Amino acid sequence: MDIFGSFALLLALLAAVYAFAAGIAGILTRRALLTKSARNAGMAVFGLVTLAVASLEYFFFTDNFSLAYVSEHSNRALPLYYKFSALWAGQEGSLLFWTWLLSIYAFSALFLNRKKHPELMPYVGVTLAAVQIFFLTLNNFVVSPFHVLGGMDASGAMHVARLSEGSGLNPLLQYYEMVIHPPILYLGYTGFTVPFAFAMAALLGRYPGEKWIHITRRWTMVAWCFQTVGILLGAHWAYAVLGWGGYWAWDPVENAALLPWITGTAFLHSVMMQEKRGMMRVWNVWLVFVTFMLCILGTSLTRSGVVSSVHAFAESSIGGWFFTFLGITFLVCLAAWFKNRDYLRSDNQLDSLVSRESSFLFNNLILLAACFAVLWGTLFPVLSEAVTGNKISVGPPFFNKVNVPIALFLLFLTGVGPLLAWRKTSYDALRRNFAWPLVGGVVAGAVGFAFGFRQFYPVICLILSVFVTLTIAAEFYRGARVISARDGTNLLTAVGELTMRNTRRYGGYVVHFGMVLIFIGITGSAFNQDIQKEMAIGQSIQIGPYTILCQNFDQPSTDNYTSDRATLEVLRNGKSEMMLYPEHRVYIASQVPETMVAVESTPLRDLYVVYAGTSPETGKPVIHAYLNPLVKWIWFGGIVVVLGTGLALFPDRRATLVLRPATEKSWGDAISQGASGTPATSPVASAPIRRSGADD
Amino acid sequence: MSRRLNLSLGVCLAVWIVLAALAPAAHAQATPRAKALGARLKCVCGCNQVLTACNHVGCTTSHAMLKEMDDRVARGDSDDVVLQSFIQEYGQTVLVDPPKTGFTGLVWIMPIVAPLLALYLIWELVRRWRHKAVLAPAGGPAISADLIERARREADKEENE
Repeated sequence: MDIFGSFALLLALLAAVYAFAAGIAGILTRRALLTKSARNAGMAVFGLVTLAVASLEYFFFTDNFSLAYVSEHSNRALPLYYKFSALWAGQEGSLLFWTWLLSIYAFSALFLNRKKHPELMPYVGVTLAAVQIFFLTLNNFVVSPFHVLGGMDASGAMHVARLSEGSGLNPLLQYYEMVIHPPILYLGYTGFTVPFAFAMAALLGRYPGEKWIHITRRWTMVAWCFQTVGILLGAHWAYAVLGWGGYWAWDPVENAALLPWITGTAFLHSVMMQEKRGMMRVWNVWLVFVTFMLCILGTSLTRSGVVSSVHAFAESSIGGWFFTFLGITFLVCLAAWFKNRDYLRSDNQLDSLVSRESSFLFNNLILLAACFAVLWGTLFPVLSEAVTGNKISVGPPFFNKVNVPIALFLLFLTGVGPLLAWRKTSYDALRRNFAWPLVGGVVAGAVGFAFGFRQFYPVICLILSVFVTLTIAAEFYRGARVISARDGTNLLTAVGELTMRNTRRYGGYVVHFGMVLIFIGITGSAFNQDIQKEMAIGQSIQIGPYTILCQNFDQPSTDNYTSDRATLEVLRNGKSEMMLYPEHRVYIASQVPETMVAVESTPLRDLYVVYAGTSPETGKPVIHAYLNPLVKWIWFGGIVVVLGTGLALFPDRRATLVLRPATEKSWGDAISQGASGTPATSPVASAPIRRSGADD
Repeated sequence: MSRRLNLSLGVCLAVWIVLAALAPAAHAQATPRAKALGARLKCVCGCNQVLTACNHVGCTTSHAMLKEMDDRVARGDSDDVVLQSFIQEYGQTVLVDPPKTGFTGLVWIMPIVAPLLALYLIWELVRRWRHKAVLAPAGGPAISADLIERARREADKEENE
């Protein structure tokens, strides 16, 4: 099976090389057969990499420890679902997994567009194949997961060493979220390759208009959504597994995931300027390029060991490969832009500073500032060491100091931007749209202040959160009221109708609301409390309204681990509320210790208890308890963001109405009918006209 | 029977010794000042966490560092003396925040300078756009009177709604 997997990977590389070469030849010679053949080879990569992945999984599920990768990351007692997730537990497997996800995206992009955009798709295929060649080269020749244990014996014959047991999976990865967190985050990272390929294709092929933006919008949103969920799952994993009481430590690996998310967010906003006004073409193309390059940079930071991180499970010397690829990508992007920069000229200019366009400009500026600050702080230790020879650290306080004001300004723009009109907003419109939300925000701030909110940033965040929520609510209310009055439906039905008419716009509002919830949750960290104490049976500690009473210590164990566990009773106002069981485990196969945190989560606060270890002086167990307010809002906000993105991906009801007659006639007929005075009640006539004004 | 009992006891003892050896040492900070100072340092075990937040499993470094912090605070050392002693022992990398002087001052300056520079560039860009817009002759595609009238009707209709 190892030969089978290796062979499949090698064939996949050959297929990718063929797709690349034949694709270029097809573009140059304009031979359709060659282009089609290149596309088929590009799609075949997916099948071949799938075979390689299946082959490696087969080794895991059959406990075949003749492969070095399997013996290092699995053992017989490992539960089945962790054997599945062990695929991405180390450098070699996770890179193979990356390649596989990339091949899924490439296959989907090529297959779904096989009969569309004939001028664009050959370039897309070539770009996707180029990226696949890089990763498949690594999979085949640099970090192959199919390395067999064994060697030559005395007679010179090759033999395979079959170990009876493996070293086991890293205990930090033995958590149910680790089965889904890496795949989802990787789906985000790899997903940005598709918009990158389309942007490059549009630039190289000088594809007319903003079509590539329309084609890639859904791809970008899907990748962005995966990246969002991946980041939040990672934060939740850090919170639940690492046991330090927080969910975000500005670790280089966390930052690496955040960087493309930030530029991806900027892109999702700035494309609207290109769609509506034909502006920001250069900017958008470079935003996609930079997002893709940050994905590659993030991957290399995770794996190269350039920056130290507790998350970097798979350090090795492949950094050079990644940085070379990054350099080549940058040069190709630069050359493509330079050669075709005249194609990217804007159609329109900015008419007013108080307009939707300017809010997008500021939004992009602020997002890029955040991206720069995070990148700068992450890489500065490397720069400092290179320049001065001194190692320094850039820790969470730096990132918090720099990014909190930036994030709050972004929150402000989240409320303001969508309500400004394109081109120019009048003073009256400003007053009409913002007066009440502003009053609501200020009142909320005053109430918060009266109830003891004294820190500057939490008060500002409270004001802005209420302001943004009210602006969003007002938008829904205004639109729904019109529909309700016209159709005689109730307001709730009208909200549904309104949302389904322009899913992109109202889905966007839902995403913004989700971000508000996340901001509120993060603000809760300003009020965290913690206490650490050596505890004997019968002793207690007090934190917030809770008394934690130590009931017992025991040592439960399974085939996979042994454990030290505390049994703690949580009392509130003298009444027993719940039992918590924080643990300290030692995994038998790897002999690596691990903390199992006990968390009682409510919308108001989390009681988070860690069995921190034993005091060397007294031998007593040490319990560390945290009271973390509003953490649940972060996870709930993440769900709302996903729902909002899903909604924005959903086709508009208006668009559906247009499509039906348009399939019978041509698009051109439909549009010309719409422009020639067909009654507005006709779906064919009304939809195209309205679409152009409200699709934001 | 007693041999089996002895064997069982022996295994239990061995397991207990292994567990005790692997159990992480934990240290509760003695004073709020020690805790505040600990928050300005980083654990040097490689976990990249703030010293007081580090309960990196199996970490023996943070325990020793936190105890040293408690001892120095109990001895009455000033904040500067405590921090300097840690820098001498572990190097600049032990500080969570890099110093704001010299080359490392750049880490603090650039996140402010870069957005300001970007803001200036955007301002310049907008200024040029607006200048061009003023200079550009009126024109654009011809719009028929019918289309204008229709747009007006639609706008009025939406206004009335």
